Amino acid sequence: MPVSVRTFQGAEEAERALAASRTARYFGGGTLVMRAVNAGDQAFDTIVRATDPRLRQIQMQGDSVVIGAGVTMAQIIASRDAVFLAPVAKVIGGPAIRTVATVGGNLFAASPYGDFAAALLALDAKVVPVGGTPVPIGDFLDARDREPRRIVLSVIVPRPRDSRAFRFVKVSRVKPKGVAVLSIAALLPTNGGRVSGARVAYGAMGGRPVRALAVEQALEGHTLDEQGIAPALSAATEGINPQTDALASEWYRRQVAPVHLKRLLLDQRR
Amino acid sequence: MIEFRKEYFADERDDTLNEIGKPTQRQDMLGHVTGRSPFFDDHLFDGLLHLKCLRSPHHHARIRSVDTSEAERMPGVRRIIRARDVPHNLNTLLSLMGFGLDDEPMLADKKVAYVGEPVVAVVAESERQAYDAIAKIRVDYDVLPHVLDVEEALKPGAPSVNPTYPANTFTYHEKYDHQKLRFGDVEAALRQADHVVEGRYQMSPIEQAPTETCGAIAAPETNNRYVVYTSTQALFFSLGTAAKILKLSSNRMHFIGGTVGGGFGGKVDSIHEPMAILGCMLTGRPVKFIWNREEEMQVGAPRGAERWYITDGVMNDGRIVARKFTGYFDSGAYTRLSSYAIIKSVGHLPGPYTIPNVSADVYCVFTNRTPATAMRGFGITGVDFAIETHMDKVAHRVKMNPIELRLKNAYLDGDMKAHRRLAKNTALVECCQVVAEKAKWSIGPEYRAMSSLKGGGGERAAIPHTIIDNRGLARPASGLGSYQSPPAPGYTPAPAYTPPSYSPEPQPVRPYEPAQAAPPPAAASPTTTRPAGNRFSSISGLRRR
Ligand SMILES: Cc1cc2nc3c(=O)[nH]c(=O)nc-3n(C[C@H](O)[C@H](O)[C@H](O)COP(=O)(O)OP(=O)(O)OC[C@H]3O[C@@H](n4cnc5c(N)ncnc54)[C@H](O)[C@@H]3O)c2cc1C
Repeated sequence: MPVSVRTFQGAEEAERALAASRTARYFGGGTLVMRAVNAGDQAFDTIVRATDPRLRQIQMQGDSVVIGAGVTMAQIIASRDAVFLAPVAKVIGGPAIRTVATVGGNLFAASPYGDFAAALLALDAKVVPVGGTPVPIGDFLDARDREPRRIVLSVIVPRPRDSRAFRFVKVSRVKPKGVAVLSIAALLPTNGGRVSGARVAYGAMGGRPVRALAVEQALEGHTLDEQGIAPALSAATEGINPQTDALASEWYRRQVAPVHLKRLLLDQRR
Repeated sequence: MIEFRKEYFADERDDTLNEIGKPTQRQDMLGHVTGRSPFFDDHLFDGLLHLKCLRSPHHHARIRSVDTSEAERMPGVRRIIRARDVPHNLNTLLSLMGFGLDDEPMLADKKVAYVGEPVVAVVAESERQAYDAIAKIRVDYDVLPHVLDVEEALKPGAPSVNPTYPANTFTYHEKYDHQKLRFGDVEAALRQADHVVEGRYQMSPIEQAPTETCGAIAAPETNNRYVVYTSTQALFFSLGTAAKILKLSSNRMHFIGGTVGGGFGGKVDSIHEPMAILGCMLTGRPVKFIWNREEEMQVGAPRGAERWYITDGVMNDGRIVARKFTGYFDSGAYTRLSSYAIIKSVGHLPGPYTIPNVSADVYCVFTNRTPATAMRGFGITGVDFAIETHMDKVAHRVKMNPIELRLKNAYLDGDMKAHRRLAKNTALVECCQVVAEKAKWSIGPEYRAMSSLKGGGGERAAIPHTIIDNRGLARPASGLGSYQSPPAPGYTPAPAYTPPSYSPEPQPVRPYEPAQAAPPPAAASPTTTRPAGNRFSSISGLRRR
C-alpha cells in the first residue's frame, strides 16, 4: 500500500483521525517513523501530522516549564527556560537527528533509545495527553506499551531548585553520538548536606526508562561521598532487569551500572 | 605527526622515491570533500525498478513450499524471482580460481542455513511496492536444529549446515578437514620445556559497516549487453561471479565501478550484481538492488569469528621452544573467503617469532551464522590478538618483562619461518625498541643493543626434522555435491574430535603430556605425497602448479 500523509491544524483533529484508524501512525519529528517507512514497515499506511502551534511551545508555568511534545532537541538546547535539559538534548543523536527529533517522540522510543524520557522520569515530569489530564510520567511509561496510543500535547517539568541537584550521564561506546549502553538521570536535592527525596532513573536498562527505587532509598539521608553512597552502589541494579542487545549484554550492563552511578553521584568528570 | 626514523636501515632505503615516505593527497579526496564523488546510486535511469528479497527468519529450516500467488497480484510488481530462475544457482568466489567448491545458492531452494538468507526476490515499480509484495509471500518452513558454535559444529551428531560440506568443515588440499602446519617436533619439545603455557582466545564477528550499503543498478545496453553500476570493491571478481551465476559471457556485461562508499573487505565477494542483472534480464528494465541498513548489518558478510587454543613450551629463561595452535574460523553457513583467510593465517604462524617447533591445525567451520568474508588484516588480526595476549601470559608465567620476552624470541633477518620461507626485513626488534622508548618502558642494555640484522640465519635458517601426520583426512571433495558417490577406497572417517583442554591461570607446573594422537587412517596416502592442484603463495594468493 502506498503511504499517505494527513496533516491537521489542531492536535484534537489529529487525535480523532488517529483514533479512527488502526493503520495510522502519528509523526513527531519522524526519526523513527520514517525509518520504518523506508524499511517497508507493514504495520501502518497512514502518517498523521499536526501543525498545532501548542506542540512547538516552551512556556514557564509557575515553577515548571511546559514543553510542547513537538519541541525538538535543537530547540531545547537553544531555550533559556529549559536550559537544565540542554545537557540531555545535546547527547541525543547527531546534529541532523537533534534538528527534528522531538520530546514527544522520545517518550515512545523503544530501548536503548529514550534518554530524554529517562531525564524526565528523574525530574518527576507530567505527561499531558491531547484533551486529557496530566499523568505522572512513571504511570505514563508503565502504560505506554499496553494502552492505545494517544497524542501527547506537552510535558510539564518541575525545574530543579538547585541546578547542581540534577545530573545526567549517557554512556555510549561511540563518542559523542553513539546509542546509549545506559543512561542515568538523577535529581539529588540535599538538606544540610544530606540527600532528601532523591529520584534516580535509568535509560536503556530494560524495555523502557525505569526508576532505581533501591538506589533512591539507599541514598536517603546520606551524604554524597564515597562512604555515603556505598549502599546505593550495592543496590545499583536491584530490581532492574537490563536487556541484552547489540550494544551490550545484560551482564555487562549490570557490571558497569555501579561504576557510572558512582561517578555521577560523586560528580566526577568522566 | 609522523616521525621518520631514517637512521634505521639507511643503506636499504632508496630516498629518491617520489611517493613513499612523502605525504601525498588521495586522488579521490577533492571529490569527497566537495560532495561530487559519484557513487553507483547517483546514476539515474528512466523506468528504474527496485528489487528486494524475502529473507529467512530461521537459522536453519527446510523450505516446504513457497506461495507467491498473492504477491504476484500486488500493485507495481513486475517479476517474482525464485531459485529456479537463477541459471547457475550455486557459487563461491574462490572456485573461480579453482579453490574450493561452489556451495552457496543466490536464492535458497531446498533449505535456508542462516537468518537473512534470501529466498525470493521481488522486482517492483517502487521499493515500497516490493516490500508490500514480500509481505504477502507465504513460505512454509520446517525448522531444523541449528548450530552456532564452531566446536559444537564439529561434534558428532551436530546439524549438518552446508550440503556441499556435510561434515561442517571446508576441505583443504582435497584431502584434509583442516589446514595443517608442521615444523619440527612440537610434542617432544613440549615434553622438554620448563613450562607449558596454555590459552584460549576468541574474537567475535566484526561488521565492516560501510556508509554506503552494498548495491548495484543493472540496465539494458545496446548490442544485447547489460551495463552495471556497482559498489563492489573488486570489479573483476564481481564480473566473474555474475558471469558464472548467470551463465552469461562476461563480454555481455559492462561493469562500471568507481567510488566505493566504504568497503573494508565487505564488498570483495559481492553477489548483489548478478541479482540486479537477473532482474533486468527478466523484466527488460533497469533494476536497482540495494541493501537497507538492517540488511547490511544482518546479512552483509562480516569478518568471521575465530577461536584459538595456543600451547607454548617455554624455558625458564623465556625462550619459547614449541608453539602449538588449534584454530577455528567461523565461516558461517557458506565458504565465502574464510577458507582463504586460514591459508593466510597459517602462513603467519607462529607470529613474528623464531620458534624451532611449531604446529597448527586450523579448521574452517560451517555454522548457521551469517557467512563471513574478508576484512582488513584478513586472516591475521584474530590470531595476532591471540598470539600477543598469549605472549603476555607467557611473560607473566616466567616472570619476564613482556617486551624483553618478545625481543628474546623475535625473528631476525635470515631466520627460517615455519612455512619455510626465509625472513627478511623483519624489524620487529627495532619496533619493540622504539615502543619501549616511547612508552618509557625500560629494557635491559642487551635488548637495547639488539638488531634485526644481526644474529639471524646460520642454524636459525635450518628446516628442522619434521614430524608429519595424516590426522583429519576428510571425505574426498571433488565436483559438485559428489557426496552421494561411495567413498573412495581407503577412506576412513576422521577420528572423533577432542577439543584441547583449557584451564585458566594459575596452573601448577606439571610435566607435559601430549594429546592422544589418533592413529592414521588405514591406507592413507603416504605422508610424503604432496597435494596436487593449487598451492598458495603467502603474498600473491593462488598459484597453479
Ligand atoms: C541515528 C539515530 C540516532 C538516535 N540517537 C538517539 C539517542 O542518542 N537517544 C535517544 O533517546 N534516541 C535516539 N534516537 C531515537 C529518536 O531519534 C529519538 O528518540 C527521538 O526523540 C524520537 O522523536 P521523533 O519526533 O523523531 O519521533 P517519531 O519518529 O516522529 O515518532 C516515534 C514514535 O513516537 C510516536 N510519537 C511521536 N510524537 C508523539 C506524540 N506527540 N504523541 C504520541 N505519540 C508520538 C510516533 O507515533 C512513533 O510511534 C536516534 C534515532 C536515530 C535514527
